[in-house]
Amino acid sequence: MASVNLPAVSSTLPLTNTSATATKATGSEVQKSFSSFLKESINNVNKAQNESDVLTNKLAKGEDVDLSQVMITSQKASVMMSATLEFRNKAVEAYQEMMRMSI
Amino acid sequence: MTIFHSMNTTASALTANRLRMDVISSNMANAETTRGKLVNGEWEPYRRKSVVLQAQEGNSFASHLNAATAGNSATGNGVKVTKIAEDTETPFEMVYDPENPDANADGYVQMPNVDPLREMVDLMSATRSYEANVTVLNASKSMLMKTLEIGK
Repeated sequence: MASVNLPAVSSTLPLTNTSATATKATGSEVQKSFSSFLKESINNVNKAQNESDVLTNKLAKGEDVDLSQVMITSQKASVMMSATLEFRNKAVEAYQEMMRMSI
Repeated sequence: MTIFHSMNTTASALTANRLRMDVISSNMANAETTRGKLVNGEWEPYRRKSVVLQAQEGNSFASHLNAATAGNSATGNGVKVTKIAEDTETPFEMVYDPENPDANADGYVQMPNVDPLREMVDLMSATRSYEANVTVLNASKSMLMKTLEIGK
């Protein structure tokens, strides 16, 4: 299985390299696009949390909402939150790795 | 198709099964109802109801585009209840009860065509189906959570 997969992985590697050199984004551009991407993702997570909040409130007020819908929305929000946390941890880890670098 | 596609599919199944449960409880509650509907000035007993389930097709533009670009429209979009049908096949039960206000000239009363035994079996089926779908949901959540553990 592994021997079948390995060539496929190595063949994709040069591809990504050429595309990276072709665009030639400057450091600030990369930073900017990354920050906007991050902002967008966090907004999405926030939206999911709000959605879950609204449904929970509706349920508490006794309005006509499905309990399963409430639970599933909250689960989705929870998964998205965990994913965000994971990304943040990775980013912080990378930063700390950089800071530990001896010059 | 987002990462929550399977969750959305399961959500539709849960909703459908809730509705199925509602219909079954209505059948059970009306198992003795002799006045279900007024037809031509005469009362007709309650008719057993059942749900018609149908596979849900994505009707939005996005779903059609996704199916066309991905080349496979095999992954479904869940289930939906298209209608609640009345059982017109099973005949009403005739019970001899002359004191009943709804008895006919011979003293017989038409009772609903609801069979409590059958309803109990349907109820169990709906409950189990609901449980199965909850299990699917939990499995897909734990898969996502496991994915977040990659590289730890």
